[in-house]
Amino acid sequence: MEYDEIEILLVEDNPTDAELTIRALKKKNLTNKLVWVKDGAEALDFLFATGEYVERNTEDLPKLVLLDLRMPKVDGLEVLQKIKSDERTKKIPVVVLTSSKEDEDIVKSYKLGVNSYVSKPVEFDEFTKAVSTLGLYWILLNKPPE
Amino acid sequence: MVSSSSVWFKKRIWVAPILLAAILITVQVLATIFGLSFYRNYFYLVMIVFVVVLVAFLSERVEKVRSLNQLNEELEEERKKLEAANQELESFAYSVSHDLRVPLRAIDGFSRILVEDYEENLDEEGKRLINIIRENTKKMSQLIDDILQLSRASRQEMNLTKLDLESLFQSAFKELEQSHPDRDIRLEMEPLPPVYGDRTLLGQVISNLLANSIKFTSPRKTALINVGFQVGKNEYIYHVQDNGVGFNMKYSGKLFGLFQRLHGQDEFEGTGVGLSIVQRIIRRHGGNVWAEGKVDEGATFYFSLPIRNDIN
Repeated sequence: MEYDEIEILLVEDNPTDAELTIRALKKKNLTNKLVWVKDGAEALDFLFATGEYVERNTEDLPKLVLLDLRMPKVDGLEVLQKIKSDERTKKIPVVVLTSSKEDEDIVKSYKLGVNSYVSKPVEFDEFTKAVSTLGLYWILLNKPPE
Repeated sequence: MVSSSSVWFKKRIWVAPILLAAILITVQVLATIFGLSFYRNYFYLVMIVFVVVLVAFLSERVEKVRSLNQLNEELEEERKKLEAANQELESFAYSVSHDLRVPLRAIDGFSRILVEDYEENLDEEGKRLINIIRENTKKMSQLIDDILQLSRASRQEMNLTKLDLESLFQSAFKELEQSHPDRDIRLEMEPLPPVYGDRTLLGQVISNLLANSIKFTSPRKTALINVGFQVGKNEYIYHVQDNGVGFNMKYSGKLFGLFQRLHGQDEFEGTGVGLSIVQRIIRRHGGNVWAEGKVDEGATFYFSLPIRNDIN
C-alpha cells in the first residue's frame, strides 16, 4: 500500500473491533486509503515517520485518525496528546472511538483537544451507523485547513 | 452521676496514694517546724510510696501513648487497605465498562454478519437461533450499563444544591414519554417543595421511578402516574403512584434488592437494578424508600428527603 496518500488511520488493538469498523467504512467506500495500526506506538511511528514507517513522507497527513483509548504499549490518550502538541500533526482531526463511556475519559480527551468522542455501541446496527456516519462526515463533509 | 464518678476514681486510682503521701508529708513538715520528730522514720517510707506512685503514674501514661500510637498505626494501615480496595473497585468498574463490551460487540456483530453474508444458507430456524444470540447480547449489554450506573450511584461525589423536583420530574417524564410514542401516558403532579440534593443522582432516582411506572402500566390503555408529597417529621415524603399491575405486598421487601425481579422476563423486561439504584441514592441523601401495592391495582413508591430549613 502507498503510505503517502492515506485518508484514514485506524488505531485499534482489538482485531474484531477493527474488522467491524473496517466493514462499516467499506460499505460507504471509505476503506481504499485506510491503514490499520494495532497500538499507540505504531500509530506514532506512522504519523511521525519513525520505526518501520521511516520512509513515509510526514507532510502527507491522514484526513482522519480513528483512535481507540485502551491499547497496549502507548494508550490512546498519550497518542492524542502527542498528535495535538506537535505542530506537524495538530491539525489532523482525531476522533476517539472507544468502548469507554467514562466521563473521565471524555473530559481528558477533550482537554487534550480531541475533535470528537464516540463511544462504540454494542449493538451491530448502531455501531455500523455510528462508524459510517462519522467516516462520511470527516472524509467527505468536513473541510480541513489547507 | 454515681457511676461516672466511680469510673473517674477507677481510672485515677493512683490519686489516693498520692493524696495520702501529701498529707503525711505535710504532717511531717509541720512536725519538723514545731520541733517534734516522731514521724522521722515515716518520712522515708512516705517518699518511697510517693516515688512508687509517681513511677506507676508515668508508666501508665507512657503505656497509654504507646497503645494510642499503635492504634493510629493500625488505623492508617486499615485506611490504606480501604483505599487500595476502593481503587481496585474503580478499576474493576472501568474494566467492566470497557473490556466486557468488546467481546459482546464481537458476538453481536459477527452473528449479524453471518446473517448478512450467508443469508441464503440459513433457514428460518437458523435465523431464529441467531436472533436469540443477539437478544441475549443486548440484555447483557444492558446489565453492564446498569451495574456501572449502580456503582456510580454509590461512589460518585455528591454535589448538593437546592433542587426544583418538579422540573426534574417534568424533564424526566418528557424524555421517557418520547421513547414510548405509541402509548398514552398521563402525569399528574401537585406543586412540590424544593429539596437539597445532587441534581444528577436525584434526577436518576426520578427517572428510574417514572420508567418503572411506565413499564408496569404497559398493559393499561391509559397509564396514570400521580406525583405528590406529604410533610413528615423533619422530612418530605414524595410519592410516585401508578395504575399499573402492582405487586404482592408479601414481596415488598424484595423490591429494592439487587437483581430482584417480581415478574418474568417475558412479562416485563428489566435487570432488577433500577430500584436498587434508587435506594442507594436516597439513602446517601439521608432519606428512605418504600413501596405499597396490590396485585393488579397499581403501586406507590415513596421516598423521603430531609427538610433543610435554610432553603425553604
